[in-house]
Amino acid sequence: MAAQTELSGLQIIEKVYNRPEGDDMQGDLMMTLINSRGNQRIREIKQFIKNFGEMEKKIMFFISPADVRNTSFMNWSYDQAGKDDDQWIYLPALKKVKRISSDSRSDHFMGSDFTYDDLGDRHPSDDNHNLLREETINGEACYVVESIPKDDEYMYSRTITWTIKDKWIGLKKEFYDEDGELLKTLTVKKFSQIKGIWIIMMSEMHNVQKEHTTKMQLSNVILNSGIPANKFTERMMRRGLK
Amino acid sequence: MKKQILIRFGLVFIGLALIGQLEAQSLSWTGYVRNYMGVLLQNENEYSIIQNTVNLNLELSKNKVAFKVNPYIYQYPGFQPETGLREAYLDIYLNSIDFRIGKQQIIWGKADGVFITDIISPKDLSEFLLRDFDEIRMGVTAVKADYYFGNNTFELVWIPQFAATKMPAENSIWSPKMDFPIQPVMDNSRRQVAATLQNSEIFAKLSGLTSALDFEIMAGYMWDDDPTLYTAKTLDPQSLQLNHLTITPEHKRLGLAGGSFSTTLKGFVVRGEGAFYTGKHFATNSTSLASVFMEKNYFHYLLGLDFTLWNIHMSSQFIQQMILDYETPIIANERENTLTFLATGDFLRETLHAELFAYIGLNNSDALIRPRIRYNLTDAFELLLGANIFLGDEGRFGQYDENDMVYTKIKYSF
Repeated sequence: MAAQTELSGLQIIEKVYNRPEGDDMQGDLMMTLINSRGNQRIREIKQFIKNFGEMEKKIMFFISPADVRNTSFMNWSYDQAGKDDDQWIYLPALKKVKRISSDSRSDHFMGSDFTYDDLGDRHPSDDNHNLLREETINGEACYVVESIPKDDEYMYSRTITWTIKDKWIGLKKEFYDEDGELLKTLTVKKFSQIKGIWIIMMSEMHNVQKEHTTKMQLSNVILNSGIPANKFTERMMRRGLK
Repeated sequence: MKKQILIRFGLVFIGLALIGQLEAQSLSWTGYVRNYMGVLLQNENEYSIIQNTVNLNLELSKNKVAFKVNPYIYQYPGFQPETGLREAYLDIYLNSIDFRIGKQQIIWGKADGVFITDIISPKDLSEFLLRDFDEIRMGVTAVKADYYFGNNTFELVWIPQFAATKMPAENSIWSPKMDFPIQPVMDNSRRQVAATLQNSEIFAKLSGLTSALDFEIMAGYMWDDDPTLYTAKTLDPQSLQLNHLTITPEHKRLGLAGGSFSTTLKGFVVRGEGAFYTGKHFATNSTSLASVFMEKNYFHYLLGLDFTLWNIHMSSQFIQQMILDYETPIIANERENTLTFLATGDFLRETLHAELFAYIGLNNSDALIRPRIRYNLTDAFELLLGANIFLGDEGRFGQYDENDMVYTKIKYSF
């Protein structure tokens, strides 16, 4: 226990980044978008992720709403520092797989409160990290780490993460805008251990400035089932879930 | 007639519903109903279109077999409904090979809004280029086989019977302007390509999707979608003035070899596409030549750049068509240059979508400007307000200078 308290902010965030995620994972993702008047919109996705060593491939099939059904999105991300993700989208109306730029990481994912960058694994070397304090929330002992981006143009001026000490899960995260004001709060509502691996099952992103919330729920999670490599190809983007 | 159409549609529904009862878990129903109204800004604000649409996508899959049927109805007030099947095909999935057999839309290439290697599916140009692209491309009966190896695909397409692009009706405001000294008589007796094995079309494509580059290399032996317009003139023996003109359209064979690529470069997506066509018959204005057509090869290519600026997604393309071994009697320009520009943005959590698309013809200084705004009242229900503005006096877009219009589309998806 004494050794753990000597960890630096960078080491804590690296442990979160390197937390085992399994060789592959599939599951159903449901996002509920709730505006300030309480109106809800639902987005449903089936996703598959596979680790190929120095690269990770992800494919998502959009199920609802009806006008995006059969759209698919594929992302290949790399451990190599500085190498951008490769991304493609299949639009069923155009019947085309289009390569898209991964430069738009500040875009909101399907109109939710999550940006593409919020959903990805931000590399620890992109920020300077300071351990602020230790704190217990929801009965979990946490490290509280402030992360300040090295890139001044980044969409957040800083983030603060509450990381559970023995599980290396970011239980809560605050995002501050360019003026230093609190913009969003991410709260993990439920996490489970499947085949010895911690998986975040339910989380909630609340935009405090716009009073808008997105609930994200993962279900039917299957880990290490041996998803074939050809799941992450143009063939499957076009074929969909058939 | 109307009754027969409804009965046919009903039978398709009943059949699919019965299958659906048996296979309820794997049958998927999606589609939309839509009202589309357009009004011209000139010509005393005539309606350019009033159209009601029902479009259904019915898909059933089980193990290694799937099928899809896409029936549609276009209803225009005062006219018989136009019904059809945009697609109706069967999929067979094997380990490394997929087959798709039946009426299908086949889309190739990396270009947006331009047809260079994307020439397999015939087009519905009855409303020029204004329809949504999934409606412009018509289904074509074909056998398509895809063989997969790694991240590469070899695709072979056989089209047993040529299907031509659908042109606007002669009295339509979208009928292309043709400069004839007198009103011609159309003779369509040679327009049809006989349905024989020898007259079928064949296409092949090798494509790959890799981290560095996406590419396609393709070839085709096909029929020219634009028929060659043979003319027969009769002169008045006394005045020697032209008194009769007959136009006889006839499709000709074309050979095609081409390719396309797409890659990312520091936040930009760079795209290119090109095709070399052989055997195109170009019309001439010569009266001394034995034939009023010259057979030439031509090159059609595009370079495009996609990027994002201030959260607005932008795309620009330069397109050139170049006739090789050009001779002056040919009416078409030796080089035909076009630019396209697209800017799109999503606002209010993707409930408001704004878009500006433009074709700019550089040879004739003409253009088609298409701004539109779409608002989603709910996830399923959208309102669209748009305009089509034609600039210039001549050229592909300028010829429709009188057809500027604003339009609305109200669409419910399910």
